[in-house]
Amino acid sequence: MIDLRLKVDPLPIVEPLVLRLCERDRSEHSEHDAHLIGRETGCREYEYLGFSVRIHASDELPLDGDVLMILPGQPSAHRLIRATSMHNTLLITEQCDQLCVMCSQPPKKHHLDFFDQFAIAAKLAPSGAYIGISGGEPLLHKARLFEFLASSAVARPDLRFHVLTNAQHLEAEDMKRLDEIGPERVLWGIPLYASDSKLHDEIVGKRGAFHRLERNLAFLMRAGASVELRTVVMQQNWGFLPDLANFVANRLPFVSVWALMQLERIGYGRMNWRNTFKDTSTEFSALKSAINMAVAKGVEVALYNFPLCSVPPDYRQFAPSTISDWKRKFLHVCRECSSRSACGGFFEWYSHDEGFEGIRPL
Amino acid sequence: MKKRLFAIPSFLAAGFLPAKADAVSPAGVVEKKDAPASIFERLHLNHIYSLAAHRSHSSHRSHSSHRSSSGGSYAAPRYNRNITSTPNTTILPNSGQNVYQATPDTPVYPAVPGQKLKVLPGNTDKFRQIVIQVQTALSLYGYYTGTIDGRIGPESKVALAKMQEAYGLKVTGTITPEVLNALGITAE
Repeated sequence: MIDLRLKVDPLPIVEPLVLRLCERDRSEHSEHDAHLIGRETGCREYEYLGFSVRIHASDELPLDGDVLMILPGQPSAHRLIRATSMHNTLLITEQCDQLCVMCSQPPKKHHLDFFDQFAIAAKLAPSGAYIGISGGEPLLHKARLFEFLASSAVARPDLRFHVLTNAQHLEAEDMKRLDEIGPERVLWGIPLYASDSKLHDEIVGKRGAFHRLERNLAFLMRAGASVELRTVVMQQNWGFLPDLANFVANRLPFVSVWALMQLERIGYGRMNWRNTFKDTSTEFSALKSAINMAVAKGVEVALYNFPLCSVPPDYRQFAPSTISDWKRKFLHVCRECSSRSACGGFFEWYSHDEGFEGIRPL
Repeated sequence: MKKRLFAIPSFLAAGFLPAKADAVSPAGVVEKKDAPASIFERLHLNHIYSLAAHRSHSSHRSHSSHRSSSGGSYAAPRYNRNITSTPNTTILPNSGQNVYQATPDTPVYPAVPGQKLKVLPGNTDKFRQIVIQVQTALSLYGYYTGTIDGRIGPESKVALAKMQEAYGLKVTGTITPEVLNALGITAE
């Protein structure tokens, strides 16, 4: 598992500090650059405004170009941007207005506003970076979020953002803002669990959520937004997946992709695992029907977080490697597998005792 | 994106100018405020999601990045400067209605895209104060003869290196916790 925090020696700071670690000469410079001045085993020393910043990390860990956030009184630095990774995600807030039965990151009451720091981090990101925006529910702080996206869009036209949101908090007047940000700049990852409003509302723990989502998807469609529709496959919606496929194909054909996702065993997902997890390695029929229907209607379909061996051969083409590098693992049985390089593996918190029965080397 | 309303829209139609031209205004151009993008402009987009080069060809998929929202938190036990709990709101997932109002803070940087973000002066000030103390101490002990300006320049670096050597500390030419300790400066 890749560490998203690095131990750092205390610094005399009174507010969050954002730094970019520079170990080589760069073509562009920033006032936030900290330059490498020394290395010892397990510790690197950088200079920032005449001060030493000491980062404790293994010697083989690439840190050049990484953007760190250091908080006053915290002994570890957050790696906001890892220069060598495709999986950088900024956690906007831990507040949420829904309570999904399989939520991997249960909501917290308080909000820490780091948008100013995120704006600096985005400007320091490597060229062409694709940055995830996640929560909680990012749109609970949409005024700040839109400012962040708009300012980043101007400062760094090469950046793209992938915003994970329940899309409950959008209004018609927000669409003008999205137009300013640039519809081509943001992919909206939006969950929809069933075409039956009652079932969707039950799964997300909020009455009226489905109808609000339906309305707001229409706003996004008219705004020309790019939408990745996300459906977690569970016991709760298993039998209803073909209906949902029909709904997506007929009512939401504008989506860029319909992602059918396997469960993540953490947070509520772990707590409710036994009543939620659907072993798709032993039964794939409902998914098969759903995929067939959507594909036949021209909807782009993808299976996220499905180990390749858990998917029937004809459907493996839909399962790209999707689990973020920092929370991915492979099992003992994967050692002999010939498809390992193409497979996304398993979440770090996957437990094989309660997991897929059909895992085997390919 | 500023829109121009052309006196002779046929120029546009004829393809002489791109629809979103931000070119020098030809004579007779009227500024039109907030003209919304046309439905054609909006829907004729370069969407960023591309799984495959052709929608019909899905044997080779390159999905650039997938995210789930789990893992990570910046929760800081000793840091609570910009915590805002949302007042007058409750998160009642089963309350049967959406009583949750997002209460965004007053923006601290202008909402106009392209304007400079708020400068964060706190650390800069703190660093300056410490540098002044360090330069003063280095002057007192005879390592530094430059101006006490609160900035670590080449002269300060040399002075720091000399002082570190004299005290048997690791020579870095920077302000380290050991330097602050040796000079009796508390950074708290």
